[in-house]
Amino acid sequence: MSVKYIPVQWNPNKWIYDAVMLAGVALFLWVFLYVTPEVLSHERAINPQIHNARAFGACAFVMLTVILCIGPAARLDKRFLPLLYNRRHFGVMTAFVALTHAGYILNWYFAFSSRDKLVGLLSANTSFGQVAGFPFEVFGIFALICLLILAATSHDFWLKFLTPPIWKRLHYLIYAAYFSVAAHVSLGILQDQKNHVFTVLFMLGAGAVIVLHIAAWLSERRETAAKDGAWAEVANVGDFREGYAKIAKLANGERVAVYLMEGKLSAISNACAHQNGPLGEGKVIDCLVTCPWHGFQYDVRSGRSPAPFTEKVPTYRVRIKGDMVEVHPDANPPGTYVEPVPLPEPEPEPDTPEEGATA
Amino acid sequence: MSEKPFFVGYLPAPGPLRTFLLTVCILLIAGLGGAGLLMGAAQDDPGPGAFRFDYGRQTVTGVVELTPYPVIHVTEGNDRIKPGDSFLMTAGGKSGVDSRAEPLDGQLAQVSGVVLERGDLYMLQLRGGRNGLQAAEGDAPVITPEPQGRWKLAGEICDGKCLAGAMRPGRGLAHKACANLCLLGDVPPIFVSTQPVLGEEFLLVTGPDGTRLPREAYDYIAQFITAEGEITKRGDLLVWEIDVDTIEVTE
Amino acid sequence: MDVATALVMAMQTWGIVGALVAAVFLTIGIDRIDEDVRGAYIFRPLLIPGVLLIWPLVLWRWWQIETERAAWADRYRPVRASYGLAVVLMSLGIIAVVIAGLSVRQSWPADIAPVQLSEGAGQ
Repeated sequence: MSVKYIPVQWNPNKWIYDAVMLAGVALFLWVFLYVTPEVLSHERAINPQIHNARAFGACAFVMLTVILCIGPAARLDKRFLPLLYNRRHFGVMTAFVALTHAGYILNWYFAFSSRDKLVGLLSANTSFGQVAGFPFEVFGIFALICLLILAATSHDFWLKFLTPPIWKRLHYLIYAAYFSVAAHVSLGILQDQKNHVFTVLFMLGAGAVIVLHIAAWLSERRETAAKDGAWAEVANVGDFREGYAKIAKLANGERVAVYLMEGKLSAISNACAHQNGPLGEGKVIDCLVTCPWHGFQYDVRSGRSPAPFTEKVPTYRVRIKGDMVEVHPDANPPGTYVEPVPLPEPEPEPDTPEEGATA
Repeated sequence: MSEKPFFVGYLPAPGPLRTFLLTVCILLIAGLGGAGLLMGAAQDDPGPGAFRFDYGRQTVTGVVELTPYPVIHVTEGNDRIKPGDSFLMTAGGKSGVDSRAEPLDGQLAQVSGVVLERGDLYMLQLRGGRNGLQAAEGDAPVITPEPQGRWKLAGEICDGKCLAGAMRPGRGLAHKACANLCLLGDVPPIFVSTQPVLGEEFLLVTGPDGTRLPREAYDYIAQFITAEGEITKRGDLLVWEIDVDTIEVTE
Repeated sequence: MDVATALVMAMQTWGIVGALVAAVFLTIGIDRIDEDVRGAYIFRPLLIPGVLLIWPLVLWRWWQIETERAAWADRYRPVRASYGLAVVLMSLGIIAVVIAGLSVRQSWPADIAPVQLSEGAGQ
């Protein structure tokens, strides 16, 4: 959270996360680089530089595929949320792997020439008017630039400095990058490779990303039943559970998390001030709403993080009309205290845990 | 909604979630290892081309002919390169030897370098400067070109050096930019024919009337094409003057 | 000057300007706009690559914060609405490019034999 910036805020979970990620990546590269040359019984081996370039390129594709699967998987099944937790380290690692791939390519295919390597890379193939033989390198360059931008702006400082909406928009480049990688592969190695194992794996990976994202998007659309009008309906009074929220989507696209805490309703923005995490999918821990993504906490009545932290999110007015809980779509400035609205007949069910037990 | 375990980043994961996450982690690591194996083992054979450093440095004498890519017709060979052989040359890296060969057109010269070999195709990567190519004493026999008529061939235009073994793999679309860069550096282009033409699988490919491979042909490098053009036999090397207008990409 | 050389020069220029912006922003600017940064120095080198890459955005945000132009509510405007558009475009793009790639894929035309169209003059 806020307080002074440090390079990485380590904690045991991040160590475990990074260890698992590094183990996977190291295993991939080790197997590709040192085991497969034994398996391949070629009369003459593939040039080591080309073999290395392929290993790092394939690894970057697989890593990017995994990264892109984590987000929608966590939306569809909350048990995957912990994988989202330190995804930025995964992303930074991917950028380094992709950069290594580019380095091998540049220092092999585009070296040994009288031209500057980068000039050679950009000028050697100019067949832009055709699909087969298209200079697929440009897709790789674009994807690499995207990955570098995402990795370079992954520190929390950038999020606060750029503001979450701009940061998030910038990080939507990941989708352009993944498309670009698919184009790079389709117009590059897929044109040549006679063994179709890679083609099949590539299509499975890209297919998984597409299916998961579309599924997550559709399920999200189903969930949102936004209505026009001044006050937006949230849910029936009886649907609220102590310590948890219902999320309302306003006509302007914003989301509001309406929490039931100690029998009273309060509404805050659904977007966490940290990384726009879905606050409404979190829960109340020790009287504080806790973001499911990175554990940022807020007082649900004022939208303020507890001291010494300074994060604030906007609050909303809540009212109960008949059996329906409604919020007013105009947000209050972040950190504005709003008096909680008591539920009409607070009947705490015996088996509903109060205060959201932290297990 | 039932009471589900709730993960907070800086707290230990709740018990039931821990088993799930452990499974996911193991699957992830195993999956990455498996993907590495499958992807790495799926690579195609890059072909038999190679630098033959094991042959040692080759030094022979022959007549220089500009086709316009310089060719040596060997007059005085050694135990590996015989008189009557004709071969192409490159300098180190992605460059040809044109500037060195041009003043010696039609004259006798001594060349020295390392062999690049792929089946019947071989070329010499010359040493730098005069060590690699210098005028030699003696009378140069006249090499008479033997026209072989107009042919329609199917195959692929490659850069001769990578094809011959400077890179493995050294052909195909993934290698196209590299091939273009070699050709732009005056490395001689080679046409790989689907089936032998007059006994040869590899032909030097040039533009019409003693010109270099036209730039319009660069769009087709590394693609499988058919095209027409005159074949001329120079020494024991076939030179195909490709007619760019007849190039067609095969299915 | 050809396009490739111009692009490489543009890239170098981008990087040089980015380095200048990074030098000024990370020593002076950053302390003015974010109180959490004051006294924190070790993390600053981590920001250099980001400034090099997106310095125009850095300058724009710096100016916005200095002049207090951004409305507070902008910070909380979710961009999730464009998620659907992003993934649909990505998915269609991938499907299209994979199909295009596989449809132009060639196999070695081993069955096409050389054909002699005319005799050589000397034959």
